[in-house]
Amino acid sequence: MSAGALRRPVYVSGIGESRPVPRDPRAIPEMVLEAVQAAYADARCAHTDIDAVVTASVDLLDGLTASNIAVTEVVDAVMKPETRISSEGLAAALHAAAQIASGAYDAVLVVAHAKTSMADYQGLTRWALDPIHVQPLGADFLACAGLQAAMLADGDPGAERRWAKVAAERRRAGNGTFLIPSSVEEILLSPVIAAPLREGMCAPLGDAACAVVLTAGSAAVRLTGVGWDLDSHALGERDLRRWDGLRRAFARACAVAGMDPRGMPIDLVEPSCFYPHEEEMFRAATAIGERAELSPDGGLFAGTAPVVAGLSRFAAAARGVRAGRAKRALAHGAWGPAGQGQAVAILQAGA
Amino acid sequence: MSAPVHVALEMDQSWRYAAPAAMARFCAGLKERRIEALRCGGCGRRYLPPRPVCGNCHLPLADWVPVADEGRLEAWTVVHVPILDPRTGRMREAPYGMGLVRLDGADTTLNHFLAQSDPARLAIGQRVRAVWREQLAGAIDDIRHFEVLA
Amino acid sequence: MNPVAIVGTGQTRHARARDDASQAELVREAAARALEDAAIEPRDIDAVVIANMELFEGRAWPELWVGEAAFAAGKPCVKVATGGTSGTSGCIAGIHQVASGLFDIVLVVGFEKHSEGHTQTGMTLTDPYWDRAVASGAVGNFALSVSQYMAERGTTERQAAQVAVKARRNAARNPYAHLQMPALTVEEVLASKPLAHPLRMLDMCPQSDGACAIVVASGTRARKLNPRPAWVRAAATRHEQPFIGDIERRLATMRTLREAAREAYAGAGIGNPLKELDVAEIYEPVSYAELAWYEALGFCEEGQAGRLIEEGVTEMGGELPVNPSGGVLSTNPVGASGVIRVAEAALQIHGRGGERQVDGVRTALATGYGVYAWADAIVLADRP
Repeated sequence: MSAGALRRPVYVSGIGESRPVPRDPRAIPEMVLEAVQAAYADARCAHTDIDAVVTASVDLLDGLTASNIAVTEVVDAVMKPETRISSEGLAAALHAAAQIASGAYDAVLVVAHAKTSMADYQGLTRWALDPIHVQPLGADFLACAGLQAAMLADGDPGAERRWAKVAAERRRAGNGTFLIPSSVEEILLSPVIAAPLREGMCAPLGDAACAVVLTAGSAAVRLTGVGWDLDSHALGERDLRRWDGLRRAFARACAVAGMDPRGMPIDLVEPSCFYPHEEEMFRAATAIGERAELSPDGGLFAGTAPVVAGLSRFAAAARGVRAGRAKRALAHGAWGPAGQGQAVAILQAGA
Repeated sequence: MSAPVHVALEMDQSWRYAAPAAMARFCAGLKERRIEALRCGGCGRRYLPPRPVCGNCHLPLADWVPVADEGRLEAWTVVHVPILDPRTGRMREAPYGMGLVRLDGADTTLNHFLAQSDPARLAIGQRVRAVWREQLAGAIDDIRHFEVLA
Repeated sequence: MNPVAIVGTGQTRHARARDDASQAELVREAAARALEDAAIEPRDIDAVVIANMELFEGRAWPELWVGEAAFAAGKPCVKVATGGTSGTSGCIAGIHQVASGLFDIVLVVGFEKHSEGHTQTGMTLTDPYWDRAVASGAVGNFALSVSQYMAERGTTERQAAQVAVKARRNAARNPYAHLQMPALTVEEVLASKPLAHPLRMLDMCPQSDGACAIVVASGTRARKLNPRPAWVRAAATRHEQPFIGDIERRLATMRTLREAAREAYAGAGIGNPLKELDVAEIYEPVSYAELAWYEALGFCEEGQAGRLIEEGVTEMGGELPVNPSGGVLSTNPVGASGVIRVAEAALQIHGRGGERQVDGVRTALATGYGVYAWADAIVLADRP
């Protein structure tokens, strides 16, 4: 068998979330426990049914040395194998799928968590940028997104209003707990935070946890395609107007699912877009047309948390497939400056 | 070969940590010199520090049991090198004794300072008792250290 | 699990401070050597796994910056971080990704550059309500469980010092090792500076700058890339409860390593590890830990570890040489240390160990240790 396929089928058996809120008064383990218990209840499984755990968290966000120590008990990893993929929650789920396909484990719990209310999130992201050439300039992830948006808006006078409209539309669909402007006019009056991006255009960040149970045993939703990618770090080495990394991750996911990336019959799309220009970049990179339903619950614009975002989109896509709203759904995760890291999952109905 | 170039970056970060509910109750108890553990309904293990679930049984913990401020020294060392106190940013003075104490009524052990820092006078199995501070703040170092009972 | 093998390894020269190279350049140095060893080009790599404990350098998402140095640009790449086991768990992640069928070749690179951060600060962000108030540091925490282990087993300071001497003697035959102390004596170890009773300076691992990489290949590719692939026979991981006081007589019991080893031996068909293993590369941050691990890994009965070191059973030329590389006691770039264990075990099967090669290695063990008691165990062999 040649590389590029999952050797065993992988299913989504359970989903649980601690929904994003601006500030969760609970400690990280309590927030995570809610998500894990919900996922186990949803999967109708006991903790003894779980062979292994994959977590996603970032030490500097949590203010903890090896932040998976704090959650070892609540994620049910005592005397079990735990792997922490400290990149992004969806990447963690894709690694868990690889573990199952390898034959190493039959049931894997995936957990992602972050509490941006604990610290200055954008300030912390500076410590992810090249410490020799970029970090001394004071750039953070928001500034990188602003640069990207500025390049896209260049020569496109309608961009600002169009992006405000994207954010407003998504927010109307969502039932988030974040107090944020939701009309186009309000958004256009909100402060500029990284020109041309205005505060009201961006996904509000808060605290959240998400848990998913993946199994080799059949369930209503099957994970058929997985793909991820890391682009060049230096912004100057990428064409910032395009998400080439997403294009590659999407092509890999389609190949694993045994499908043609052009004309993929996808009914539901759950992208991880923290900024409205990213939605346009997402559409361009995946060539997914207007026919597919996109972020029916508002996506990240209704409120989210970094690291958790991609896994929460995976959960949303799985719910859509399970509810019969979609035969095939795509979930997307992204991390790093201007979407340097990209992950794609393709979910399908049934066995 | 030219001399290496170093880019100096200084990190100054702070985090607001929420106390888990069980830890908040435990700390409130310390203010009244009360120590409580959480007992697992599955395996019966009595946990200090208190936490949301028993890691072995993955069962939520809610059954509080009283614990004495005396117990048995299960492990000890004398630290000779000053280490950073993360709460003050200053180095902790050395040498000092450190132990794992199994308080009467608990099954896990508690890591804490020892009044004694002479290795010749410390031994596993010794009875030890908490020495409380005058002013209680509701934190684990309301216990200054543990002293060996004669 | 599907057949997977390690076909190439590479590491940097490790040192207290590698001022001549950035973090990214250390990663590239190790990655390029691993590719050269496997005789492959960057384009042959399908995916990359990075292992690192970023708080030691004060970083977040370090794969973003160093990924390109590991030839990951435009490829699937994630980072694994699980404390001291980051490296071994990173290797297992790469092994699982190849065995899944997704990739033919995965490059795993672990690195740490302690000299560019403040390791002690990076390690103090423990539980804010408990451990920060009553901290004794990594050395003090280890010393606590050493006191229990010595009391239960009758282990002597001299036996531990013999472990420290063996490690440094072996390191002298390893051109990449950090500490080079070929003539170190037991007396010198016993006379070195006390850190936390009974641990002394020379009982402890150093902090090193360095990186290490392995090339993991699918069964079909492995045979073409290496005449003696190091086949992964089994890999197992166990994590443990979060507080030091939770773990019952940590060194004396070490249920995580015991269980991980039991599972790995069962998977590899090993009944008597002392007889059936030809070499072991184990993660021993402290001299006493090596003795405790002999027992947890089933090399001897409980209480017999001191005899193993006294009789030279684990020396080069002994029945089961342990850590021909010099081990963590001689070289410790934390995120790389686990990868080094796996790479050194694979190297012994490849027959590319140079002066530290053990004769006729067919089966090798690598282990990882991290946090208070997290453990990995990996068995490699010259046959799938």
